[in-house]
Amino acid sequence: MKTKTELMSFTDGINLESGDRLDAFELMVESYGELNESKTNAVLVCHAFSGNHFAAGKNDDGETGWWDQIIGPDKAIDTNKFFVICCNNLGGCSGSTGPKSINPKTNKAYGSSFPQVSVSDWVNSQKILMEKLNIPSWEMVLGGSLGGMQALQWSIAYPEKIKKAGIFAAAAKSSTQNIAMNEVARESIRKDRNFHDGNYIEQGVIPKNGIKTARMLGHITYLSEKHMNSRFGRKFQDNDSKVDQDVDFEVENYLQYKGEKFSEVFDANTYILMTKAMDGYDAAGKLNGLENALEGVTAELLIIGFYSDWLYPPERGKEIQIAAMNNNIKSSYVVLDGEHGHDSFLFHNDQYSQIIRKFIQS
Amino acid sequence: MVKKLSKIITAWVPQESKVIDFGCGDGSLLKELIDSKKILGYGVEINNKKIEECIAKGVPVIKQDIDKGLHEFESSNFDISIMARSIQCLKDPSLALNRMLKLSKRCVVTLPNLGYWKCRINLVSGKMPVTPELPSSWHETENIHLCTINDFENLCEEQNIKIKDKVFLNSKGKQSKIVSMSPNLLATEGVYLLEKE
Repeated sequence: MKTKTELMSFTDGINLESGDRLDAFELMVESYGELNESKTNAVLVCHAFSGNHFAAGKNDDGETGWWDQIIGPDKAIDTNKFFVICCNNLGGCSGSTGPKSINPKTNKAYGSSFPQVSVSDWVNSQKILMEKLNIPSWEMVLGGSLGGMQALQWSIAYPEKIKKAGIFAAAAKSSTQNIAMNEVARESIRKDRNFHDGNYIEQGVIPKNGIKTARMLGHITYLSEKHMNSRFGRKFQDNDSKVDQDVDFEVENYLQYKGEKFSEVFDANTYILMTKAMDGYDAAGKLNGLENALEGVTAELLIIGFYSDWLYPPERGKEIQIAAMNNNIKSSYVVLDGEHGHDSFLFHNDQYSQIIRKFIQS
Repeated sequence: MVKKLSKIITAWVPQESKVIDFGCGDGSLLKELIDSKKILGYGVEINNKKIEECIAKGVPVIKQDIDKGLHEFESSNFDISIMARSIQCLKDPSLALNRMLKLSKRCVVTLPNLGYWKCRINLVSGKMPVTPELPSSWHETENIHLCTINDFENLCEEQNIKIKDKVFLNSKGKQSKIVSMSPNLLATEGVYLLEKE
């Protein structure tokens, strides 16, 4: 698989939904496969909250991309046929301009002063990227969770630039419960004594405990009760592999381990910014309801939900489907079992992969 | 049989209309209607394998248990709804009929006829009917609300549902004069175009 990773600069900057402006920005972009001569095979993959540009393949450390089960040669999104692009979202912490970057006006890290970005801003930045790459239109834009919201927003904001959209384990807006969960996570970060109102980089510290707790909570919401039960049950952790002596159960050990690992790589300000963007998204926007918002959509939609997903349950996808049908949009709504709760969108299973493959190639 | 049925239904579906097909299976009928009548069609199907086949054909499809919610589609302004060979599988066929006529002006319903003479012979000999049209035995069948042609037409009358057109098919899936003279005895399948009065 031909893979290219590149940090791209955009010197014309971007106006943000908040009214703020970045005079210049950079995006970390990864691509798989090759653009055909007629430029009709480009696919944009949008990452979820904690994802990044590394969507497929293996890196030098032997890690695999977050959607490697779906993207690759002969996989659901076949890189022999399609040119797949994924970028780290603006405000992220994997190379694109974000809170960890240096603010050229102050020569210090942005920290908490990094402007709030939104799903629309991401879509707009991806549009700027698209122009720079000379791609006239996307064959498909797709993603799960927060990535699905971006795919939906693409179909609303730039109907002439997108033929198909894949909206998986997502919603047209976050629910009250989603916002509530995210607020608990954010609070744990803010109350970490190393947070320093978001300016921890200057202080030379990281609010590691806060990020860790936030991730542990988040992780629970991404899994299903059934999956947790069958994977961990009430099994006790064996003494030799305990990450901490306070740990009793396997599930505790697992969450501790996952949270710890995450806190080593993820930026606290990005955590707050990304969850705020997720909470703030409402496809209906300032318009009067989702149905009106979808009025101009011309892309064919594929909406997939998973029964085991209680964070963005299938009904949220169905709301998009009904609004799409009311607007005479060609749209399909599929619900799959999925074992992994909200995270189900990340994993291959025969039906899921076949449906994506057939939709993108139909 | 299926070809003949789709020919009858196609004739009833207006050009470029908005169509919903409940129990659409692999989407063949909708695909035909998309190609021949340029309709905007949506299938409703519960089986994921069939859903996959719809998507492969480019037929928009919705995963849904018809028993659980036809009302969700009421806001979509369909011109015509179709329920081919499925109404007898529903928990409440009468409610389903009324809901279909609420979400679209017209609907097409096709159903197997339990009054068909071979079914009657089966019953006379003391067995639940098993015929090419009703191939499953009583404990395996999905058909929980089988009826005769007369039963169905009586229900339509009770519910003030107008039968705009109807076609009866024989065991070869064909129309014939004899069948239409005594459909309750001779038809294997009834095909109806309905409208709410």
